[in-house]
Amino acid sequence: MTTQKQIILFTAIFICLFLPVTIEAQREDALVKIVQANEYYHEKDYQAAVKIFENLIEQDQTNGYLYYNLGNAYMRLGKIGHAILNYLRAKQLLPRNENLDANLRFAITQTVDQLYPPQMGFLYEFLFWIESISVSEHFRLLIIFNVIFWFVSIGFLYYRNSSWNILKNISMGILLLTFISTGIKYYLQAEHKTGVVLKNKVDIKSDRGIQNVTLFQLHEGAIISVNQEEANWVNVSLDKDKSGWIQKKSIGY
Amino acid sequence: MNHTKTRIPSGVILSALLFCVLFPHILFSEDIRISASVDKNQLTLEDSIEYSVTVHDVRNPSKPKLAPLPDFQVRSIGTQSSTQIFNSDMRTSITHKYMLIPKNTGQFIIGSAILNLSGTVYKSNSITVTVKTPEPRKSNKNKNVYTETSISKMDPYVNEQLVYTFKLFRRLEARNLNLNRPYDESLFRKENMGKAKRYSKIINGISYDVEEISMALFPLKVGKAIIPPSMLELDLIFRTQGNRQGDPFARFFNDPFFGGTTQSVHKVLTTKQIDLNIRRLPEEGKPYKFKNLVGRFSISAELGKTSLELGDTTTLTVTVSGTGNILDVTLDSHDFQGGFKVYPDQPTFKQTIHGNQIGGEKTFKFALVPYSAGDKTIPPITLSYFDPEKSKYNTISTNRIPLKVKPGTKDDKLNLVQPKPESSQRNGSSVSILARDILPIHTQLKDFESMAFNNTDRVIYIIGIVTPILIYIFASGYIRYNHRIKDDISYSRRQQAHNIAKKKLNQLSSSDTEPKDFVRALSQIIREYIGNKLNLQGTAFTSIEVEKKLTENYFEQKKIIAVRKLLEKCESMQYTPVSISKNSQLIDESVDLLNELEKQV
Repeated sequence: MTTQKQIILFTAIFICLFLPVTIEAQREDALVKIVQANEYYHEKDYQAAVKIFENLIEQDQTNGYLYYNLGNAYMRLGKIGHAILNYLRAKQLLPRNENLDANLRFAITQTVDQLYPPQMGFLYEFLFWIESISVSEHFRLLIIFNVIFWFVSIGFLYYRNSSWNILKNISMGILLLTFISTGIKYYLQAEHKTGVVLKNKVDIKSDRGIQNVTLFQLHEGAIISVNQEEANWVNVSLDKDKSGWIQKKSIGY
Repeated sequence: MNHTKTRIPSGVILSALLFCVLFPHILFSEDIRISASVDKNQLTLEDSIEYSVTVHDVRNPSKPKLAPLPDFQVRSIGTQSSTQIFNSDMRTSITHKYMLIPKNTGQFIIGSAILNLSGTVYKSNSITVTVKTPEPRKSNKNKNVYTETSISKMDPYVNEQLVYTFKLFRRLEARNLNLNRPYDESLFRKENMGKAKRYSKIINGISYDVEEISMALFPLKVGKAIIPPSMLELDLIFRTQGNRQGDPFARFFNDPFFGGTTQSVHKVLTTKQIDLNIRRLPEEGKPYKFKNLVGRFSISAELGKTSLELGDTTTLTVTVSGTGNILDVTLDSHDFQGGFKVYPDQPTFKQTIHGNQIGGEKTFKFALVPYSAGDKTIPPITLSYFDPEKSKYNTISTNRIPLKVKPGTKDDKLNLVQPKPESSQRNGSSVSILARDILPIHTQLKDFESMAFNNTDRVIYIIGIVTPILIYIFASGYIRYNHRIKDDISYSRRQQAHNIAKKKLNQLSSSDTEPKDFVRALSQIIREYIGNKLNLQGTAFTSIEVEKKLTENYFEQKKIIAVRKLLEKCESMQYTPVSISKNSQLIDESVDLLNELEKQV
């Protein structure tokens, strides 16, 4: 064995032995910080709590409850736009959390514009469950129904009777529906961005550039659909009639 | 017979190629010429000339370059090509046609058109045309077509609405109408006043079809202003009656569908320039808050809720309507800002036409949040404008609107995280909600595991999707195989033939059988194998029959011979004593042969 191969082998063994240890250490470190931030919150040091929560999110600690707690801390600081933005992020991961829904509703009632998250209309009426199930839950359901369908298909091949045929057709229908629902949910989450106004009052312009006509004004916490991003400007819309350009620094999404 | 190879010089080939490429251009090089012609030499400003430039005896020439024509508007109206053959002499020509619309009167020379062909310049003849002024307007009464323009006022005030009307009078059918109404954007703001009106009018006993279109102009500057002449281009259709005047079907057969009984003449009709004197608005009586509104307007205001709680919002809607430059109306929210926080909305505008005046309705909306409780009043909102008809300023205003703001239970210092009482939340029972606040943070640490959609998740999901499909493919193959073995006897025999034969050969080799019985059993095993493989009934067939069956099933001749020899050997050995070592040799030979046959199957 050459020296080079030996080095690669030892490195691989080292990574295999110590990587799980490192990951576990990072996880524990994150939990310690969360405990600390929660304590700051209870001690009414909301600024310190926000700092830790934001820091954890920057380190790719993606968790719905983390966003929820951060939203609460921003609410206590009176930063309603940031609070709503984090509640919306939390809702993508915790779609059925009642506390989160209540706090989001409360936060929206405190805004000037009182705009609720845009609805998908017909799509959400037809696939009524789509809003209540997160993307990862959709994928898990897809795998479960996929396993069920293929095993029922094996059963049908083996027994070849009408009962197994009905079972196979039902499981195929459910699998197809789950597949469509997962695809739509994934697409909407990736493409259909929802933004929140972070500044006290912002002008929505007819085109990129502050010299353009102000079409309408929005206030902190207003929830809008983000359509397009160009340089320092973002195209946003409230509905099909109201859309325009807003400075990127004025909104979060 | 002798064949001699002749080498063609490369120079000859190159020359031939060059000839082929250049042939179309040099074919008529001696006769190439370019000519120009017009359909008429004398015309008025209302007419146009058809100017034709013809290139003779060149195939696919480039477009000739026209001489500069500053006194004409030039439009290309297509090309025409022709080919003529006289006694094997071929002549081609391409004609480029242009429409020349005169801009000025006088005598003009249309210069030579130039064609550059492979470095040689060809020039057309030049043509002289005379453009005269059209006949005076007083002769309109007998004209087939004429135009008129009018303006509602010759000395308007600045920002006063003017109505500029263009009318086309015609007795003949007109097609391809193209109206150009130019105006100076620095002197006027324009608003369209809808589609053209069509009606009939009898002038001096002659019935005319009239088309009328108007636009509103708002003068922007004081002083002399000019509305330039409008220009209408159209094709007039003349219908010739032919010799069917007494024929009741003449009208029917004069339809263009039945032949060329119509003639089209292109006309350019120009109106006169209009000179205006734009007056300054009088300084006398000019209100303090006057914002250049000129016309006649009215104003009204409406409040959404006249009774509300402190912290709630009500909407004030102010509507300004009337005729004039209503688009320029602006309202200040400072008028009522004292006791309220004001959030103005973007105003909306709805345009309407009142008679020959343009007008509309501009609506302003303001969201009002009162600062304190008590009886409030929305003060009158005033608007000043200049009425050009009465030549005086007017100031109009809305009525005062009373508003009751209840103190409620809210804290005046509205803090987002402080309790926010809402009387509307009372549930009707004896328990009333005193305050609302956000729900507490989440503290269960087990829920704070990362929910990120990472690569490990992706791999698990892919495995979760693909694995059941693979299992299904293998399972379905196995199940189908079992079903066939069960249902298809010939398939089952064929599939199991080798295994059965091998098993029996093993048993035979380990048994202590008499040599004669051994070879009989061996022969039986091989026949049974072949019977199973070929789905034959019984095993009582001779080596010749085996050879025949194997040949029918396309087995290799070499293998067929080997089988036949083995069977013959077995048959002969039944009558000849053999040693035990010979038995094992036969077994090995049989196993090898069966393996070979199995490979081919």
